[in-house]
Amino acid sequence: MLAETAFVTPATPYHPGEEAAVPARSQIGLHAAKLGLQGGAFAVFALVLLIFALSSPIFLSPFNLGNILAQSAISGVLAIGLTVVIIAGGGNVVTGGIDLSLAANMGLSAAVYASLSQAGQPDAVAAGAALATGLVIGAVNAVAVTRFAIVPLLATLAVMNIVGGLELVLTQNTVIPAVTPLLETLSGAGPLGVPVLAYGLIGFALVTALAVQATPLGLRIQAVGSFPEAARASGLAVNRFVAGSFLFSGLSGGLAGIFSAAYLSGSTTGAGELLLPVVVTALLGPVFSRRLVPSITGTLLSALFVGVLINGFQLLNLSSTLVSGIQGLLILLVVSATTLLKRKEG
Amino acid sequence: MTTPPSDTIIRLDGIEKSFGGAKALSGVSLAIERGTVHGLVGQNGAGKSTLIKLLAGLHQPDAGTIEIDGQRLTHITPHAVESLGIHFIHQDRLLVPTFTVGEALFLGREPRIAGTPFLDRRQMQRRAREVLQRYFGLSLPNSALIADLSTAEKQIVQITRALLDQPKVLVFDEPTAALVKREADLLFQLIRRLREDGITVIYISHYLQEIEALCDRVTVLRNGRDVATKALSETSASEIAGLMVNREIGDLFPVREKAPGEPLLTVDRLSAPGRYHDVSLTLHRGEVLGLIGLLGSGAKEFLRTLFGLETAASGTVTVQGQAPWQASPVQAARRRLALVPEDRRRHGVALDLSVKENTTLASLSRFTRLGLIDRTAEESETDRLITRLQVKTEGREALLRTLSGGNQQKVAIAKWLSRQSDIYLLDEPTVGVDIAAKVEIYALIAELAEKGAGVIVLSSDLNELIGLTDRILIFFRGEILRTVTSETATVDALLADVTGSSELTRHAG
Amino acid sequence: MTALSPSLAPQTRRRLALGSRHALPVALVAVFLLFSALAPGFLSLANLESVLVNNFTLLSIVAIAMTFAIAAGGIDLSIGTAVDFASFSFVTLVLSGQPVPLALAAGLGGGALVGLFNAVLIAGIGISPFLATLGTLFIGRSVQQLLTNGGNPVYLPPAGVPESFRFLGRGTVAGLPVPLLVAGAIILIAGLILSRSRFGRVVSATGTEAEVVRYSGLTLKAHLAGTYVLVALIAAVAGLVLTSTVTVYIPSSGNAFLLNAIGAAFIGTTLHPHGRPNIAGTVLGVLLLSLVANGLLMSGLNFYWQQVGTGLLIFTVLALSFASRKA
Repeated sequence: MLAETAFVTPATPYHPGEEAAVPARSQIGLHAAKLGLQGGAFAVFALVLLIFALSSPIFLSPFNLGNILAQSAISGVLAIGLTVVIIAGGGNVVTGGIDLSLAANMGLSAAVYASLSQAGQPDAVAAGAALATGLVIGAVNAVAVTRFAIVPLLATLAVMNIVGGLELVLTQNTVIPAVTPLLETLSGAGPLGVPVLAYGLIGFALVTALAVQATPLGLRIQAVGSFPEAARASGLAVNRFVAGSFLFSGLSGGLAGIFSAAYLSGSTTGAGELLLPVVVTALLGPVFSRRLVPSITGTLLSALFVGVLINGFQLLNLSSTLVSGIQGLLILLVVSATTLLKRKEG
Repeated sequence: MTTPPSDTIIRLDGIEKSFGGAKALSGVSLAIERGTVHGLVGQNGAGKSTLIKLLAGLHQPDAGTIEIDGQRLTHITPHAVESLGIHFIHQDRLLVPTFTVGEALFLGREPRIAGTPFLDRRQMQRRAREVLQRYFGLSLPNSALIADLSTAEKQIVQITRALLDQPKVLVFDEPTAALVKREADLLFQLIRRLREDGITVIYISHYLQEIEALCDRVTVLRNGRDVATKALSETSASEIAGLMVNREIGDLFPVREKAPGEPLLTVDRLSAPGRYHDVSLTLHRGEVLGLIGLLGSGAKEFLRTLFGLETAASGTVTVQGQAPWQASPVQAARRRLALVPEDRRRHGVALDLSVKENTTLASLSRFTRLGLIDRTAEESETDRLITRLQVKTEGREALLRTLSGGNQQKVAIAKWLSRQSDIYLLDEPTVGVDIAAKVEIYALIAELAEKGAGVIVLSSDLNELIGLTDRILIFFRGEILRTVTSETATVDALLADVTGSSELTRHAG
Repeated sequence: MTALSPSLAPQTRRRLALGSRHALPVALVAVFLLFSALAPGFLSLANLESVLVNNFTLLSIVAIAMTFAIAAGGIDLSIGTAVDFASFSFVTLVLSGQPVPLALAAGLGGGALVGLFNAVLIAGIGISPFLATLGTLFIGRSVQQLLTNGGNPVYLPPAGVPESFRFLGRGTVAGLPVPLLVAGAIILIAGLILSRSRFGRVVSATGTEAEVVRYSGLTLKAHLAGTYVLVALIAAVAGLVLTSTVTVYIPSSGNAFLLNAIGAAFIGTTLHPHGRPNIAGTVLGVLLLSLVANGLLMSGLNFYWQQVGTGLLIFTVLALSFASRKA
């Protein structure tokens, strides 16, 4: 009785410790490949750091490292917001979680902040309005995706157009300068001579990482994104988590808007240019995580990796335009590797 | 065994349920005593899964009442059922693959570090280790992800998850389908222990031996009715088998001129390690061959290999003397093989394509001139097949989604008729098909054979195999255990062969 | 379409077919009437021609290319890269003194190269189209920067090269502008391919239920590969027309079409009884976007309201059609 099922799967011993002693050869290969994929990203990061450190004397100076962090602050905050949407919506970029309106959101929020400051409003009002702008955009996305059931890719694409247009209307496609105490503090140097923006990025990443990776709420968000049926079976209201993730990414857009106003001393045009780099940064995040899944810390590392590349290329007087190619190649390599791995496992 | 106090924990009365005109349940009544293991058996289509889905609150009954713990339920939702202490161990394991065992176990009721909003991972790991050790003697590393576990281990995690809720009733739906013997034995020990702890178990299985070994009482379903409920102490596996089988449907099957012609398909010592081994057969023109075997017996994998969906390690497949080929569905279809796959809604037909588009999908080249489809030819071919197969549809432009299961299946077959295939591989051709369409499909299969095609039917419906085929090949543990002539085959003997109980008897004797 | 739409119950499918199918034509008529009333110059022949030539032509070609990718259940984010590569190859050959027909062929080849690269990634390796074409887009951007010393435009001077390179962009045949004729030809051919050809049927089936295509003994991978090459080829035509019109190649400028092309193709799906991507729908979608852009401009509204208007319009059409599917 029952022994016929032995043909379905090889029997797995009940003590995987024993099993590890005599795994099939192909299994070893798969594990090695997986480890390689996980470790490889860190190794590449370390190698890049090493090369830049050796070729440029100032690369490792605290000032420069702080600079990298500050430069990465805007795209980092956006990528982290996007990562939360991806975690809650699932890894399928078309039907799953994606927020294409993030970069435009940042542009509009920055413009709102700058215009209000210029109109003489105090920082608290301007900053509050910028964050509220982001939140409203997030709410529109949330309603479009969970109520109207528009696939996120299309919903956020349409919202991106509207938001980008509103920014143009507000700024008449001009730069709105803003000099306020808040912006001066943010763009100035903080403790240890490191820019305050750098602390901003680290702080935001830390709080988000704790919430997503160390709380029950975070665990549930992960469950909702990676296996909605399992989450539903555990009594979780999937749509609420998805809506919440869009609200959060909206808020990230608002925060990035304030950061960008600080970094550029006002609002500038062309925020939309940042969209695809941010998407790639978030999608590259999983290779910097232990389980090869989207994670906040992974995305932070991915953002810093891109920041380091841009900074290093500048120091070495190389064209930083190569960065985009490297990002593209990396993403294709990583995804090809995971796809081929999966095919072998399947 | 101490006799538990005899009171009813679940009572179903006169349950009826139809899906789009097809009656799945026509009056099922069932009483389950507290603290017992209650078996539920029946052939495919007898209504087991519908009944379980009703109990789980996934469907609402058309008529009848459900009482749990003496409390009559009016509107049954999954949540209400769970709050009454009824938990289900489903066949598809609902666990997040990227979670650790601890995370999967405690999702939705995570322990926190006292006074903080943070997950207490250490406690999760510790308690996970504890419960897995206590219930199953199973120890998994803290870092093990669900994706790394074996099927059995995943199932154990899911059972443990249910046990954490201190359930009153646990429902197991074919729990051993993917377990090896040792794992299954562990499961049986656990179920007996659950019963000692006063938990009621509903156990659904194909394997009568399991029912015999495990259950206190058993209910047999047939054609959407409960035909009997027996105490295991008063019945036997063979009596239960007898109750499961329809004796009165012999005339569903068409009488067919059985005159096999030249060989169409020859399989010589085909092997795929871990799946099947040294399988040889010859299919002649005008012949209908039956395959039967439980999940994991290799029968399904063998059939899929013939169509090029899986690869064999050694052996050859020859069609009408042509050289063996590089296996792929493209090559198979070119050699006039046709597969009507088991998963009709994902593989057989595209629900969002029209009847016409589905019908001609495999034979588009026939209607193509200079790259463009000849609409008139395509439409008249579709209409011809709709008429010939009596497909009930609003028209050739209707989406497949709007057709009943039986009519979808007819389109899945029509697709290959249009391709003018010679060899038809039918994988569970009548699952989810109502009785009227079943009879039509049987007639169609007979007609195909009479016109010179060769047909291989893989089915777990024993009556169907006996009524429809010339010979039946019984797969057991990856080999052909024996080949029987359908005319002399009996359901009881087939059942014994398929489940391996004839083997056991022989060894015992 | 299944890849992009939530699974729908049969009765809601039917309701969709009856209800929201008219959303696009109605919107088109409404927009037309609205701007005829609001904007004095809107209805003039000169303005309508300018809508067709300036707003409609190039976007319609790119959006049609995108329609094939979406019909096959995917997407092509690198569609602008194909436009750019075609443009670059064309400009380079014209400048090096090659005859214009050869330069045109090279342009098509340059675009097709991008499609071939995507085909290998998607059909060969099995990467999801979104990620594959995103990677291509980024690599393509760097390659163009490298080819142009960091992103400098390459001009086709009026002197020293044959005048005929302008024909595709600025010529007329029987009084009709050549770009419009090219767009018309592409619309016809693409319509024939997608709705009448065997290839188009298999592509649509792939986008609906790829596994059924494989189980029907069809070459799934070959059709996927073919789709992405075709997408790039059609986009390349847009690149050639664009370059011939503006007589300059600007690196990575093709991306400007990406989002509107996706938007138009999806708006177009509302026209199909079963919600599938289709050429007629895409063309009407592009027409709608073009009319709105022009109409807003003509009504004296600030130029920047255009984007808000188009965005709101796309959002409304999507919300109407998806919400009615969900209901």
